[in-house]
Amino acid sequence: MIPDQAHIAHIQTFHTVVAVVLPLLAAVINNFIPNKLKITGWISTIAILLSAAFAISVFAAVWNTTAVHTQQLWFTIGATKVYAGVWLNNLSVMMLALVPVIALPVHIYSMAYMKEDERFNRYFTYLSFFCFSMLALVVVDSTILLYAFWELVGFSSYLLIGFWFTRDKAVQANKKAFIMNRIGDVGLLSAVIILFAQYGTFDLVRLFGDNGLVSKSVIENGVWIAPAGQLPAVWQYVAFAGIFLGMAAKSAQFPLHTWLPDAMEGPTSVSALIHAATMVAAGVFLLGRAYPLFTPEELSVFAVIGCFTAFMAASIALTQNDLKRILAYSTISQLGFMVLAMGVGAYASSLFHLATHAFFKCLLFLVAGIVIHEMQHIKHENHLDIDPQNILYMGGLRKKLPLTFISAVIGSLALIGLLFTSGYLSKDGILIQAFEWAEGKAWYFQLVPAGALLTSLLTAFYVSRLIVKVFFGKFRLLNINPDIKLHISDGGWNYKMPLVLLALCSLFPLFSLHPWLYEHAWLYQGFLPANHLERMNVYHTLIPVGVNIFCVIVMYLAYAMYVKRNYVARQNGWLFRLSYNQWYIDAIYNKLFVKGALALSNLLYWFDRTVIDGIVNLLRSITGTLSSLAEWADRYVVNGIIYLITVLVRRTGNLVRLFQGGKLQYYMYSMLAVVLLVFIFKLLIS
Amino acid sequence: MNLLTILIFIPVLFGTIILLLPSSLRASFKYITLLATLVQFALSIYMYLEFKTGAGFAGINHEDQFQFVQKLPWIHLDLGSAGAMQIDYFVGVDGISVPLLVMTTLVMVIATVASWEISSNVKGFFALFLLLDMAVIGVFCALDFFLFYLFYELMLLPLYFLIGMWGGVRREYAAIKFFLYTLFGSVFMLLVMVGLYLSVTDPATGNHTFNIVQMMNPANYSADSIFSAAAQQTILGVPARVLGFVVLFIAFAIKVPVVPLHTWLPVAHVEAPTPVSIILAGVLLKIGGYGIIRICLGIFPEVAATGAFWLGLLGVVSILYGALNALAQRDLKRMIAYSSVSHMGFVLLGIASQTAEGISGAILQMISHGFLSSMLFYLVGVVYNRVHDRDIYNFRGLGSIMPKYTAFVMIAFFASLGLPGFSAFVAEAFTLAGTFKSSTTNGLLPYWMAIGGSIGILLSAAYFLWTLQRMFFGKTLLKGGEVWRTALTDINVRETLTLVPLAIMALALGIFPSLVLDVANGSVLALVEFLKK
Amino acid sequence: MIGLNEFLLLSAALFCIGLYIVVAKRNAIQILIGVELMLNAAILNLVAFGKYDKINNGGQVFALFAIVLAAAVTAVALAIILNVYRQYKTIDPSKINKLGD
Repeated sequence: MIPDQAHIAHIQTFHTVVAVVLPLLAAVINNFIPNKLKITGWISTIAILLSAAFAISVFAAVWNTTAVHTQQLWFTIGATKVYAGVWLNNLSVMMLALVPVIALPVHIYSMAYMKEDERFNRYFTYLSFFCFSMLALVVVDSTILLYAFWELVGFSSYLLIGFWFTRDKAVQANKKAFIMNRIGDVGLLSAVIILFAQYGTFDLVRLFGDNGLVSKSVIENGVWIAPAGQLPAVWQYVAFAGIFLGMAAKSAQFPLHTWLPDAMEGPTSVSALIHAATMVAAGVFLLGRAYPLFTPEELSVFAVIGCFTAFMAASIALTQNDLKRILAYSTISQLGFMVLAMGVGAYASSLFHLATHAFFKCLLFLVAGIVIHEMQHIKHENHLDIDPQNILYMGGLRKKLPLTFISAVIGSLALIGLLFTSGYLSKDGILIQAFEWAEGKAWYFQLVPAGALLTSLLTAFYVSRLIVKVFFGKFRLLNINPDIKLHISDGGWNYKMPLVLLALCSLFPLFSLHPWLYEHAWLYQGFLPANHLERMNVYHTLIPVGVNIFCVIVMYLAYAMYVKRNYVARQNGWLFRLSYNQWYIDAIYNKLFVKGALALSNLLYWFDRTVIDGIVNLLRSITGTLSSLAEWADRYVVNGIIYLITVLVRRTGNLVRLFQGGKLQYYMYSMLAVVLLVFIFKLLIS
Repeated sequence: MNLLTILIFIPVLFGTIILLLPSSLRASFKYITLLATLVQFALSIYMYLEFKTGAGFAGINHEDQFQFVQKLPWIHLDLGSAGAMQIDYFVGVDGISVPLLVMTTLVMVIATVASWEISSNVKGFFALFLLLDMAVIGVFCALDFFLFYLFYELMLLPLYFLIGMWGGVRREYAAIKFFLYTLFGSVFMLLVMVGLYLSVTDPATGNHTFNIVQMMNPANYSADSIFSAAAQQTILGVPARVLGFVVLFIAFAIKVPVVPLHTWLPVAHVEAPTPVSIILAGVLLKIGGYGIIRICLGIFPEVAATGAFWLGLLGVVSILYGALNALAQRDLKRMIAYSSVSHMGFVLLGIASQTAEGISGAILQMISHGFLSSMLFYLVGVVYNRVHDRDIYNFRGLGSIMPKYTAFVMIAFFASLGLPGFSAFVAEAFTLAGTFKSSTTNGLLPYWMAIGGSIGILLSAAYFLWTLQRMFFGKTLLKGGEVWRTALTDINVRETLTLVPLAIMALALGIFPSLVLDVANGSVLALVEFLKK
Repeated sequence: MIGLNEFLLLSAALFCIGLYIVVAKRNAIQILIGVELMLNAAILNLVAFGKYDKINNGGQVFALFAIVLAAAVTAVALAIILNVYRQYKTIDPSKINKLGD
């Protein structure tokens, strides 16, 4: 039995590695394909297809069986051995399968979407590289590798956001995204280092596995005691804070969420894959990996922050006019739900929501891509000067883009969480468990489920607003210019197939054969701990029914407001402005941190030039003065004496030379003078 | 003939050939230099492959464990009753110097190729260049303090002339500043060296000795000598050993450079010609780090332990201060110079931690920075050669007109800011890990220093990305208009061939850090063990 | 009454005139005349002091001897001056400075 197990582990590891490396291989090959040859799309797509196949086979083999952990020595530093390997448990195989399955339709879609771009090959190079990083991120078994791929994911996202690098907004957005992710990275790195110092290992399995080192350590009297070694308790909190920052940056949670809306400057297909379905889920994945580390108080922090982010993002999404920006805020909001779920202990629901969200949000982004593409088409054909992403110019597109419309509706319903969609199953589970969690806690903890409930109603509203503005009513540009021609359609199979595929995956049958009981979803059950709570209280019935009814009412409200124009929203209240300006968070950050850091750096540079270099220059000028003093002394004193001597000698010499001039009469003179002198001398002394 | 000796003196041989050849053959000088550096590189690779690793070959304080050793009596003066003055030609390598040697020889090859555009006084340039090459290699190999000092000072001379004669507008100011700074450091080093000489006796001969390895053994100090740990002598009220350590540290800290002794670096870099910048950043700064490990830590281990906090603090300050200063620059070369200050801060921090992770990380960081800073300065040189301007604000959207160049810039920038997969990541991560671990293993550095250092990683992303966005992305807009646009051609084959090995090395060390660590580990462990005593 | 003092005074005056001529004149013949004057001053002294050597008349004898010698010297000197003049076309002693050549 044992060798058999080892054999299986070996095969699964091999398949995993193949699934991970295939996209990298595609990226490397694509890098060397000349620009004229547009075969890179196919190379990447085939790579991701094969990768998906391998990943699903691994998923099928490992799901709900024993975890597979294989590792190999990577390098030795000092006495510490650092291993590299894969750890396949339910969490990682779910992600391993999810990523290529979502990526595949996006690849197909991209081949059409990016067809016109002159850097088509480069696009697929980046895309495949992203898939590689993301796949590696979910399967690696050490914190250091996790961190490495964590950052590579951020890097490939940087490349893709700034793909159109001649657009200033895009490159500013990718810089912002990378730097904000870097804040998270620094946090995560700190956490990795602290865990290493505390436990002496980078091995995720030894740290967080069943009976891992982390679960065996306790905090007592301000000391964080591990099986081998201890640290002051504050470092446990710092490690938590580090992981929180890492999560907040990648999963766009408050306070590090502002990069995600800006990241929409990248191609829409990229937004669909990276900024909706996969990369942003990495933060939640990290929480799943490091779950045993968190104390109950720390989990409450996740709950509160998740709830706040969900609410804030939803409130912002209410008033935005940029199609992709609305979806971006909706992503932030849904990620907030996942984090909240982690916080309230709904581990399984959180990951379940991660999976369902990946499908329907990816779907919505692809829909947005088609709409934007067609709007651009209209813009170019009619030489208009409009922003193709602004929903105020759209309207009535349901007749022109029927398949897109149906997909959008399915995606939206899933996002709202209505019955028969996958979103219903996962989201209501979170709400129910949030209520269960808050029960019996202090009053302010009740705000968390209440906020979540309110957020789901807001979600219903802004999603309905979006759908209504884009697909219902009349095409609004016609009001301005009635001559506009609308030559638009759903597009070819590259567009249609992904939509259909993802739309089907957004419905309930993929996850559960029972349309309204989330506990029956197989994915959910796969993450349940052995001692999970049975459905036992009134929430399990009340909340789904209540939420669904309210949501329908809210949706009608939106329809009435925007199509029938029964109500007109006030657009000048402070609440509206707060929402429209995204809670002024960007402005505050810009003033406080960006300006602050720049001011500090300028101050230090001034310090460097004036003070430090000043001291050096002062020393130099002191030395200079001293040396010129010395030079003066040298010239006028030392040299002066010598000069005097030479002058004397020369004068004497000249004088004496007079007597030797060869002039007869001077000899006479001197003889006379000498004789006279002798006489005078004699006279004087006598 | 000893391999190491050949390695050291090959440049002199070729330099003599260049000096003897008539100036009419000046076109061949660069090829001769290239040949010299390539031979040197091949030799160092051979040594790297032949290098025996393991606990029995750790080196550090065991003279018999050094490899490729050559020890010849060099200056021998019989002073009668006062014993004999003995200076040896003593070279050898251990796990700390071998990776640095390989890095140095490769950087020298790159620097030679970077000198292709030098056109004035070619003979002088390459002769000085090769002299510098010899001195640098010599410093890494010398195990006799006198010999070390000799090579150390010998470096200054060619550098002074290389900056002062082939440099930019304010080259003389830069050269003099550089010269004074480093001379200031080394003059006092001479005093300490003499003091050490008078304190240490070779147990084998009974004479005073300059042998660095002997200086590491407290038993070799005469009981009442100035630097004897037992005698606890003081100079001006300061314990003599502390003073000795501080003086040596200042000498090396100027080289590293450590804030606040760093201001020669931006000036020297800005004015120096590209190959000299490459050598300065790639190799010379490492001599500071190497000197601190080999000499400061080796000879004064107990002072290094008590002063570790201050060393670490200087490291953290250098990291943050350098990074923030880099953020404020608009001259590309100056920005990179300050980033060097920041990155070398990690080296000091790692050394100060005195943990195996920290010191290994520091060594890896030195190697990595050697390749990356060479690459960065070479890249600056590319743009400067074409339009003679380096102001970040004068360029925009270079990515559209120089795509290959931009790709290399991105590799260099991201590798420098510590993107995983490149060498700097492993180095910085383990430096910080070692720093954090220090508190629990040897209690030298407080925990917060690791966190402080990690902020530097964040800041480095800020300044590199800002430059990337400002200079390479966006719509093309150049201060020099069409003239510049035609001048700014993408990099040619020679330039690509120069950059590719550097990029490959950075990538290889990032994916297989064991290339360095396997060689260095034994010595690092021995050093840590030695420091614990 | 003319005593020794008067002779000595005359002699001194003669000597001084001679000395002046020797030192100041730029003509070799004049210098020769000056030398003759000084010589005569000395001869005058010899004759004057000869009064006190009554037995041998040493003073007169020396004077005669000196006059003969002076005549010979003058002849030689004039010959030299003549030759110098031939050589240098001048008899100014300050301009005759090529003796070494």
